[in-house]
Amino acid sequence: MKRLVFLSAVVLLIVGWAGLAAAEDTFDAVKARGTLVAGVKDSTAGFGYIDQKTREVVGYDVDFVKYLADAMGVKLELKTVTSGTRIPQLLSGNIDIVAATMTYTPERAKQLDFSNTYFLTGQKFLVRKGTVKSLADLDGKKIGTAKGSTSEQNASKALPHSTILSFDDYPQAFLALQQGKVVAVTTDESILAGILGKAPNKEAFEIAAIRISDEPYGLGIRMGNPKFRKFVNDTLLEMEKNGEAKKIFEKWFGPGSDQPMSRDFTITADRKYE
Amino acid sequence: MSGYEFDWSVITSGQYFWWLVSGVEITIKLSLVSIVLSFLLGLLVAIMRMSPLGPMRWAAVGYLEFFRNTPLLVQIFFWYFGSYKILPLFLNDWLNRHDFEFASAVIALTIYTSAFIAEDIRSGIRSIPKEQMEAARSSGFSYVRAMQYIILPQAVRITIPPLISQFLNLTKNSSLAMTIGVAELTYQARQVESYTFKGFEAFTAATLVYLVISVVITVMVTVYDRKVLNPIGMR
Repeated sequence: MKRLVFLSAVVLLIVGWAGLAAAEDTFDAVKARGTLVAGVKDSTAGFGYIDQKTREVVGYDVDFVKYLADAMGVKLELKTVTSGTRIPQLLSGNIDIVAATMTYTPERAKQLDFSNTYFLTGQKFLVRKGTVKSLADLDGKKIGTAKGSTSEQNASKALPHSTILSFDDYPQAFLALQQGKVVAVTTDESILAGILGKAPNKEAFEIAAIRISDEPYGLGIRMGNPKFRKFVNDTLLEMEKNGEAKKIFEKWFGPGSDQPMSRDFTITADRKYE
Repeated sequence: MSGYEFDWSVITSGQYFWWLVSGVEITIKLSLVSIVLSFLLGLLVAIMRMSPLGPMRWAAVGYLEFFRNTPLLVQIFFWYFGSYKILPLFLNDWLNRHDFEFASAVIALTIYTSAFIAEDIRSGIRSIPKEQMEAARSSGFSYVRAMQYIILPQAVRITIPPLISQFLNLTKNSSLAMTIGVAELTYQARQVESYTFKGFEAFTAATLVYLVISVVITVMVTVYDRKVLNPIGMR
C-alpha cells in the first residue's frame, strides 16, 4: 500500500512536471536553455551517420538542424534516435525536434506536428542510362524488386501489364538489371541511390525521373508549440529561398556523392494545421 | 490479449485465391517437367558411372560429386546469373525475352536431382546379382543390350521407393525457384501474406497443396509399379 502511494506520487509528479514543461512554448524553452536538442539518426547514410574521420554525426538531417540552431542563436546538441525511439523521445521532452528521415503519415500527424516537407523521395526506377523516359517505356517489360516490400505492390499497381520479378534482395535485382534480365529495378529512391553509389560501372545506369509513390520527410515537433512550429517552417522556407537547402542537398546527394539523387522538389508551405 | 484473427475467406475466393491457383499450376509444371528430365538424366549418368570405359566413369563421378555436394540454391543462382558470362550475347537476349527464370529453375532442379537419382539407380543395379550380367553376356547380349533388357528393368523396379523420395524432394525443392522470381506456390503464398498480412492462412493452404501433390505422386508411381512394371507381383 505504501509503495502504491509512493508510486502514484511519483507518477503525479512526472505528469505535473511534464504538464508544466508543455505549458511553455519550445521556442522560449530553447532560447532560455541556450541549446537546441535535436534527435538524429547515426546510421542512415547521407541523412545522419558517423563520419569515419571526425567521429561526429553528420548528414542532410544534421545540416538542417544546425541551420535552425544558428538561426535561433543557440548551440546545437545532437541526440541519437532510431525509427522506434524518435517519437517517444520527442513526446517525453528529451529532444526538441526530430530530424530523422521521418515520413509524414496521417497516423503520426495525430501524435506530433510535422514541419514543411524538407526532403521528398519515393519509389523510383533504376535503369540503364537513356532507356526509360516515361512509365510507358516500362509497360509490359520485366521489372525487378525485392520480396515482401511495398515496392512490389506499388509497381504492379502502376504497371499492371508488366511482370514484376521479386528477388530475395536488391543486389540480385541489380545483377539481373546488369544482365538485361529486367529493364528496371524499383524501390525507394534512397535504396536505389545506395545501390548506384556502390556499383562498379555507375555511369551506365541512372535513376529515371519517374516517381510512383511519395515519401515526404518532415521535421517533428511536439504539438501545442505554435511559436516554435512557425519558426521552423519559416526558416525552412527561408532556406529554400536563399539556396541553402539546395546547397545541403547537393552536398549529400549531388552527382559526385555516394548516393546520387535528383532534387525534383522544392520546400513549400505544404503542411496545414487546424 | 491481442490474438490472431483467422480469416480464411481471404484465400478461398477473390484475386488472392487465383494467385494461389496460378502458383499451384507453376509448381506442378515445374515439378513434372523436372521429374521426367531428372529421371532420364539420372538413368544416363548411372549407366555412365558403371560403364567399363574409364573416362566415361570418371566424368560421371565428377558430375555426381559436384552436383550432389553443392547447395541447390547456389546452383539455381549459377544457372540463372552465371550462364550470362558463358553464353553469347544474342542468346542471352533471346533467353531474357522469354521465360528464362522458369528454364533456369528446371535446369537446376533437373541436374541437382539427377545426381541423387543416378546414385539410387546404381544401388538398384548393384543389387542385381552380377551373374545375371555374366549370363547375359555369355548368351550373346552386348553390354548395352544386357543393361536394357535384363538388368535395368529389374533395377528400376527395386529403385522405386528411393525414387519416390527423390521426386518428393524435387517437388518441395521447387519452392527455391522463387528466389529468381518464378511465381510458384511459395512465392504466391508470400505475396498473399505481404498484401493481406494473412500469412498463416496462405502458408497453411500452400502446405496442404504440397501435401496433396506429394501424395498424388506417391500413389501414381506406386500404381505404375504395380500395374505396369510388375503386374504379376514379382519381387
